[in-house]
Amino acid sequence: MLAVENVTFAYVEGSPVLSGIDFSASKGEVVAIVGRNGAGKSTLLRLLNGLYQPAEGRVVVDGLSTSDTPVHELAQHIGTVFQAPEQQIFNATIRGEIAFGPKQQGLSGEALDKRIAEVLQRIGLPDSGDEHPLDIDASARRLVAVGSVLAMQPPILLLDEPQRGLDKAAMQRLETIIAEEKARGTLVLLVCHDMDFVARRADRVLALARGVLSADKLTAEFFTDTALTEAAGVETPDVLSLSLDLGLPPCLTPTAFTQAYMTRRVGGT
Amino acid sequence: MASLTKKKSDKPSLLYTAGESFLHRANPLTSLCLLLWMLSAAIVLPTEGTATLTLAAIAVALVTGVGKKALKRLLITMVPIGIALTVVHGLLIDRQDFAALGPVQISASGLDYGLRVFMRVACMLMATLLFVTTTHPADMLKALDQRGVPAGIGYLIASPLLLIEPFTERARGIRDAQRVRGLNLTGSWKARAAALPVLLVPLITLALSDLDHRASVLSGRAFRAKPHRTVINAPPDSTLQIWVRRLLLLLAVLQLGLPLLWRL
Amino acid sequence: MAPLIEVHDLRFRYPLAKAPILDGLSLVIGEGERVAILAPNAAGKTTLARWLAGHLPDGALKAESGFVAMEGRNWSEWDVAERAAAIQFVGQVPSQQLSGCAFTVYEEIAFGPCNLALPEAEVRRRVDEAMVVCNLAHLANRDPFTLSGGEQQRLSIAAALAMHPRVLVLDEPTSNLDPESRDDLIAQIDKLPGGLTIIVLEVALRPSLALANRFLLLDGGRIVADGTAGEVLNDPRCIEALGMTSIAAAMAGLRDAGAWPGDKALPLTLAEARASLGVQHARG
Repeated sequence: MLAVENVTFAYVEGSPVLSGIDFSASKGEVVAIVGRNGAGKSTLLRLLNGLYQPAEGRVVVDGLSTSDTPVHELAQHIGTVFQAPEQQIFNATIRGEIAFGPKQQGLSGEALDKRIAEVLQRIGLPDSGDEHPLDIDASARRLVAVGSVLAMQPPILLLDEPQRGLDKAAMQRLETIIAEEKARGTLVLLVCHDMDFVARRADRVLALARGVLSADKLTAEFFTDTALTEAAGVETPDVLSLSLDLGLPPCLTPTAFTQAYMTRRVGGT
Repeated sequence: MASLTKKKSDKPSLLYTAGESFLHRANPLTSLCLLLWMLSAAIVLPTEGTATLTLAAIAVALVTGVGKKALKRLLITMVPIGIALTVVHGLLIDRQDFAALGPVQISASGLDYGLRVFMRVACMLMATLLFVTTTHPADMLKALDQRGVPAGIGYLIASPLLLIEPFTERARGIRDAQRVRGLNLTGSWKARAAALPVLLVPLITLALSDLDHRASVLSGRAFRAKPHRTVINAPPDSTLQIWVRRLLLLLAVLQLGLPLLWRL
Repeated sequence: MAPLIEVHDLRFRYPLAKAPILDGLSLVIGEGERVAILAPNAAGKTTLARWLAGHLPDGALKAESGFVAMEGRNWSEWDVAERAAAIQFVGQVPSQQLSGCAFTVYEEIAFGPCNLALPEAEVRRRVDEAMVVCNLAHLANRDPFTLSGGEQQRLSIAAALAMHPRVLVLDEPTSNLDPESRDDLIAQIDKLPGGLTIIVLEVALRPSLALANRFLLLDGGRIVADGTAGEVLNDPRCIEALGMTSIAAAMAGLRDAGAWPGDKALPLTLAEARASLGVQHARG
């Protein structure tokens, strides 16, 4: 579904921001991209959606090389939600905002209405279609931005810090969307600083450190290897630390922790 | 720390070129008076005079180490203006001294007029370039502050220079965000024109919200709360420079005023 | 603790809004307190922050009733310079906190003290001090607009500190930072002089635990819970609006399974959980 083959990229010739990046990801995976500010995460994101071209190597999205495909065509295959949703909102209504992508795809009439209604439902704003996107609070606006990309039904989703500033209800909505997308075979890539969120939702972690891929591991393997987390400048999720302290298998979520703890108790150890 | 803080920030959007020449060291107000004098001279001098002044300004630019940057801008701007003036005044406008030159009619008086306008514009532009390449806007602000010029005026000078980069950056961000949503910016001119609102609406909305934010940030940091601000690293001034400024201003006014009086 | 800021029965509605966003809110904050105001989305967190900091009322944006007073005087009676020296507000979006008047980081920090017409030596002393606290000395000559989001966030806090305010109001101060920079900033805030009152507004529970010792929950336009971390974060209304820390959620799982006494407070942080489960840090 996505192949990044030995990619190097530099803004200024001779000082690469990313070098030798090599990984692939397949349908239904949720992959987190982690690392310090300035490690090259945003640059990688822009290489994946075709906004940047690799200096060396290539990026293949859904069978298309980003070097040969215009960005607006790649958009049918890879949907991106950037950090600042305000930068993409231009319609006077939330409905119009969500309709923009599908309209570019040629969807119209009843099919379009149905698509919009479905997306509004998923982002938790079923009755707000006619409101102005700038009149709602910032977290709802972030979900509108997610919705405007979901409406295009791309097989790959890129989300840059989607969890930032969300309260419990909005977070649950976002997590449900990610789970639903995974279930329908979408490849989801998340750039994320919140390691609890990564632990809960990602199957796999790609870590960037100083422009190279310092780790490509399953989530539990990544977080249990202190050398890897330290190199990437990220913390171990608290629940996972606690489970290891107690001699339990590594637990990524509170639910997993409770289960592991109770299993051991019942087992009589 | 002191030497560190005296270093000026290099912004690619500024024409300012760091240096140690007499113009760089001059108080920004002195440079400003020099600019005003040159502008007024450019208005009143005949073609020979503006040509001489332009050449002198180019020579000074070369000596002060800003020649390359200034000349580049001068050429980029003046070449098209020169061509336009030649065509319009030499060839197109019907004059009494129209003479056939091959297939076209050409007018010597028209060319002469064109040259006079050309040299006047070149002189004014060169004077301005000399000023902006040797005067850092931050120093200009400090000099104005020091003279007790209202801070709002300084802000009007500084903020466009400072905000142009973040603004461009944001325009790029918006364009990227829309392209990855399938907006085609490579198509026909018609398609591109149709895409314009999609790019402009967020840009304008965000600029308006920025204005709002900036106003509260400025009052939060006591901007314009007191009649005077403290000036740190104030550009040095001297009695000599004060007299030079007075002289330049007097000359500028006389240059403009005398011909008027003469005609009366 | 002497009361410093008092919000009295504040009712505020944005023009054209159907309902008031702050609805009879009352609150007293004492000198030197470190307060976290937790709030779900759309609860009026930023609006309250702007009232606390005296940025509201502003023109047509007025309270329907009530007021905010600092040291017993209504904010509207303070002049701009007085207010700026008393309280500083750092908003959420780092690039929007910059003055747009300074060509270097040094000048950006000096901007406020210069506006107060302080003597040059005092301005320099304050700038140097703020640069040390916020780890900016190596960036002194950089153009503020070319800094990264995290660096700009540190810069806006430094610019606020250079005003030597008695109160610092921070709206989601760690949201733009990676985990390491976040921990650095928390450590730096921790080192600030004890007399400085700090009010942090947050939607995320974990960073606020490290920044405050008094917690308030803002919901439905009012303060609905006020107390220690244990009291507020275990309050059902807080759990409903903001969820639980991952540790508290894990411990709640144990409680529901009968492996943790139902009447005992749940640990909120890893350190608390380790202490109450009697385990050692397994990894060095």
